[in-house]
Amino acid sequence: MPRIPTKFFGEVDYMPESVFCFPDGLPGFEEEKEFLFLNVPESEPVLFLQSISMRNLCFVLVPILTLVPDFRIVLTPQESQVLELPGERAPIIGKDVLCGALVCADSKESLCANLMAPVVVNLWNRLGIQAIHPESGYSHRHPVAFAEHALAC
Amino acid sequence: MLVIWRKAGESIVLGDNIDVEVLEMRPHRVKLGIVAPESISISRKETKLTRAENVTAALSMDSGLIENLLSRLSSYRRHN
Repeated sequence: MPRIPTKFFGEVDYMPESVFCFPDGLPGFEEEKEFLFLNVPESEPVLFLQSISMRNLCFVLVPILTLVPDFRIVLTPQESQVLELPGERAPIIGKDVLCGALVCADSKESLCANLMAPVVVNLWNRLGIQAIHPESGYSHRHPVAFAEHALAC
Repeated sequence: MLVIWRKAGESIVLGDNIDVEVLEMRPHRVKLGIVAPESISISRKETKLTRAENVTAALSMDSGLIENLLSRLSSYRRHN
């Protein structure tokens, strides 16, 4: 079983068939096309998207419905084509696709998530894209509120 | 901000060697054709913003923050 070093969780074994492929990479990291979602039970609902070839590249994602329960995903025909999804209906989050927002730290205490450009992954073939949709009206710096509430408790 | 009206088929020129032509107009969007030297990088503004956000996302999350986040999450789960 292949093994890679990860940014946060030491060395990790993985199954080759669990690799997710981003044909265009992610903006800023266009050369990184292969990622793993790391299985970290204590991090639920937060996910970790670790690059296979670049140890220090690991994105933190929050499933978008955790932040915006009524989030509706709309993909362009080109995006559906890259994901190999049928274009005639919107994909269902959780059934057809995983949709997660990349998290960044505003400061030591405050995290925000990019809802304007969610990562969308076809769960059936493990193809992924970052779907950039400024017209959706969602913020690229949406506060990750559950982490704040937890701190206040 | 400089504001210029153009029709489909008309262009504007930026500097000496960048040409931006309005190719087609639709009710909610326009199609632009851009001729520029290879050294000029051309991006949609939202892609440039996403690139910057992704780099911040990748660099800003360090081990200390992850530990902090995991402990917040465990307390979040206890209270929900």
